[in-house]
Amino acid sequence: MNAPALPPSAALRRPGRYRTFQPADLLHYAVLLLLALFCVLPIAVMFTTSFKLQSQLFSTGLNFFFVPTLENYREVLFGDNFDRYLVNSLIVGVSATAITLVLGCMAAYGLVRLRFRGRRAIGYATLLLRTVPLAVLAVPVFMIWSQAGLANSLAGLVLLYVAVNLPFTIWLLYGFIQQVPVELEEAAAIDGCGPVEVFWRVVLPLIRPGLAAAAIFTFRIAWNEFILALVLTDRATRTLPVAASLYVTDIGVDWGKVMALGSLIAIPPLIFTFLAARQIITGLTAGAVKG
Amino acid sequence: MQRRDIVKAAGLSVFGAAFPIASSQAQDRYAKYRGQTIVISVPSHPHYDAMHKLLPAFTKETGIKVEVDKLQILRMKDKQLLEMAKPQGDYDMVSYVVMWKGEYAKKNLIRDLDTFLQNPALADPAFDLQDIVPIYRENIGLVGGPRGYLAGPGARLYGLPYGAETSVLAYRTDIFARHGLKPPATYAELQTLLPIIRAKEGIGALTSRGQAGHQCVHAWLLHLDPLGGKVFTDDWKPRFNDEAGVKALELLKEISDTGPTGIPGYGQGEMMTAFLQGQAAMYLDSTILFGQVNDPARSKVGGKVGYALHPKGVRQASQSGGLGLAIPRNARNADAGFLLMQWLTSRPQDIAVAKAGGIPGRNSTLSNPELLQQYPEYAVMREQLKYSDPDWRPIIPEWDEINIQALGIAISDVLIGKKHARAALDGVVPRVTDIMRRGGYLKG
Amino acid sequence: MKTPRWVPWVYVGPAALVMAAACLYPVLSALRLGFYDWSIGTPWSEARWVGLDTFTRALQEPAVWHSLWITLLFSFVCVTAEMVLGIALALALEDRPGRPLRGTAFFRTLFILPMMIAPIAVGLIWRYMFDAQFGLLNALLGVVGAAPQAWLADEHLAFAAIVIADIWQWTPFVFIMMIAALANVDGSVLEAARMDGANGWQTTFKVKLPMVMNVIVVTLLMRLIDAFRVLEVIYILTFGGPGDSTEILSLHIYKTAFVGQQLGSAAAISVLLLAVVAGLSCLALRLSNPLAEEHP
Repeated sequence: MNAPALPPSAALRRPGRYRTFQPADLLHYAVLLLLALFCVLPIAVMFTTSFKLQSQLFSTGLNFFFVPTLENYREVLFGDNFDRYLVNSLIVGVSATAITLVLGCMAAYGLVRLRFRGRRAIGYATLLLRTVPLAVLAVPVFMIWSQAGLANSLAGLVLLYVAVNLPFTIWLLYGFIQQVPVELEEAAAIDGCGPVEVFWRVVLPLIRPGLAAAAIFTFRIAWNEFILALVLTDRATRTLPVAASLYVTDIGVDWGKVMALGSLIAIPPLIFTFLAARQIITGLTAGAVKG
Repeated sequence: MQRRDIVKAAGLSVFGAAFPIASSQAQDRYAKYRGQTIVISVPSHPHYDAMHKLLPAFTKETGIKVEVDKLQILRMKDKQLLEMAKPQGDYDMVSYVVMWKGEYAKKNLIRDLDTFLQNPALADPAFDLQDIVPIYRENIGLVGGPRGYLAGPGARLYGLPYGAETSVLAYRTDIFARHGLKPPATYAELQTLLPIIRAKEGIGALTSRGQAGHQCVHAWLLHLDPLGGKVFTDDWKPRFNDEAGVKALELLKEISDTGPTGIPGYGQGEMMTAFLQGQAAMYLDSTILFGQVNDPARSKVGGKVGYALHPKGVRQASQSGGLGLAIPRNARNADAGFLLMQWLTSRPQDIAVAKAGGIPGRNSTLSNPELLQQYPEYAVMREQLKYSDPDWRPIIPEWDEINIQALGIAISDVLIGKKHARAALDGVVPRVTDIMRRGGYLKG
Repeated sequence: MKTPRWVPWVYVGPAALVMAAACLYPVLSALRLGFYDWSIGTPWSEARWVGLDTFTRALQEPAVWHSLWITLLFSFVCVTAEMVLGIALALALEDRPGRPLRGTAFFRTLFILPMMIAPIAVGLIWRYMFDAQFGLLNALLGVVGAAPQAWLADEHLAFAAIVIADIWQWTPFVFIMMIAALANVDGSVLEAARMDGANGWQTTFKVKLPMVMNVIVVTLLMRLIDAFRVLEVIYILTFGGPGDSTEILSLHIYKTAFVGQQLGSAAAISVLLLAVVAGLSCLALRLSNPLAEEHP
């Protein structure tokens, strides 16, 4: 019988469990620090560049000291319809996440607990669909959405994002639901709860970490995605990442502005990262790492 | 009525009558469209950034509001194709690259401008079509003439130039003075100068485009034409691998070797930046450079730049090309779109856009004394336009494919040292022939 | 508990419907589209049926095989580097069981950052850093006295650039997976090995790694499949250049469709990519099948 996998980072939270510092740990910390710097440096470059003027950008060599300017942010936020793009991105991100969670949750539950013909087929199809490259989807979706009148609409984009994110969400939640002991559900059923109540009151609270992880991943993709949005939006429905690509022109790249917009786009994922690192790691490792 | 009111009424009527007739006619022209909003499709391009600054004045004068859909050029094209193929499209005016004019006209996506220009209700009597630089008008706007894109019998006007360009030579007066050099008047002189400048000054001699795809082909074409070459013969057979073609490509390789580091990856932006940041002593490419040289945000070489004609090979020739404006066939507000087009390309607005950093498109603008003070290079440009070659580049729909899939790779291979010029050009002839055959230009 | 036959479909139906309509149906359409010659801007009614012509032409195109080669090379190099680095770092930095170092949680938060940043931002940042004139990397090279390189202009260096960008983005992911896997290793087995006289290397290679082999394999396959799907970063970083030295298959498909405006050809090439990815996915499914676990 497999014991449920303990989320590894849970062990880190218990107080009094840190070992006393030894000299050999210095090397350990040094390597960790180096790795952390490696991860953070490019992002830091993006932030610092967003505060530089064009003339400051055009200097060879390292220069750490410069007078920061808010000019890029001012131009990005107040010119060029930033508010429209922000609203579009928010609508798409939140809708796609909500719908994916609801549908994915239900589907995962159905796949785990219920036996029905077609279960294997749908299960395998879901797993395979997760790996479809977006470039493969772009061409037929462009054609089909245009003919169905869905092109250039937020609804069309949301529909596509939901479809693309469902496989991973289902797969993720499948692992979590599997770990909910059947006995709990059966006990609740005996107590007189209908199937919906069992789902709502017993299962959902127990898979909350999985839901959080799935929500974060789906929102991240819907918020950051660029290629499909590029193909499927026009000036009214454009999302933020597509707007960022507009600063890349044939004449050159407007680095200050594009880094400013990139920094703004990075804010929600950064917030999620710092608030919910544990859930993210759990989400990544669940299913792959079995006890 | 009180006496005061009579005086007021009399004063007003006198005042009203004193208004120039033309102005009240102008009000008539725009009156029908006051309050409408039109949508235009433009690229991310410095000339259109300058145009952007003029739009509030248009709205103030006419009451027509303008919504701008600014896109990267490549993306702009397929967006436009999509929009213009619908029964009713989103765009009332589009900006297009000269290369697309044939395709747009053939697919019946844009309108013949004669109907607008001859419509007394819309046409501006002070417009003066002849003042628009003829070579620009021909190159950017005419479709249906000889070879499909030149002036002559059968040509009809589908667009007006806006953001058109030719090529000039720009050079660092301080560097040349320092070493006692003269700006090259011929290609032979240019070729001699390249290693000299590199050795003596330590910076790149001539900046150039070099990126694979249409960028490096553009750079090669700049030299091909003056050196006597052409891409196709009169009956569309590839001739770019003849002596002139090879010579032009070998020269381009030499330019790349003596130029600033990284030319094989340079797009138009990087090429200009290299010159503007002092990493190259010379520049030989589009006149769009003019508006950038004295901009302190982008340029360190303001005040140190001189201009000369595109050097002569076997002939004096320079590029022609750039952007223009057209009206989609399925535009919802075609008339209002035309009014904007006409306004933007009119005499006063051409001057205004030049002042704002854009590219002039009229002879009168190029001779304007005030502008000549700010941009003395206009004198060189006026002279250069006499030699601008409308057949500098074949303007056929297949050109994109030839650029990106054939010539663009072959030329880039030479620049990165993978192949030699002759082998690269010879090697891509079958591919180009195949494309031309599929396009119906060649039989069999 | 006997549930009515239609109940499972209430749960699974909506999701299945959405996936079928917006994911499966387009994929099948791509297959169908490959039989036509259709360019953007012309109505669908003008598309010509050409049968297997597009497919055969696509399979004969040297550009397509070149893209496939580049994609294979890219995937192989990236995944190998990421796995090796990720495993090595995880081994070096794993917590001794039950006694973690203070602060490791914070570091791990930082390690997730590369994955969370928008791929387009990743591409832009690295494009800026690799810039031949003003990029950070050339500045650093200058500090150590090396000559500035035209990263994005040289075919080999540009390839290195996209590999470096991918390694930056995904090595932390491998690292996190491996750390989690190693944390679940049963300490007693390691103890037993040590008591049997095994030294550090042997414990690691002969005991520890085999115990987490299934995670390694799953991670490797996930990375491999994702490497084949990369598009956005390379779109912005090099757009396939210089020449076609970084033109991976996804990008080639995009360019054929939206730059070359040939939707039929693009669809045909998509089928090729799909076949490769589907093959890898089936392999992954065989080796670690979540559905295979039935309740006892």
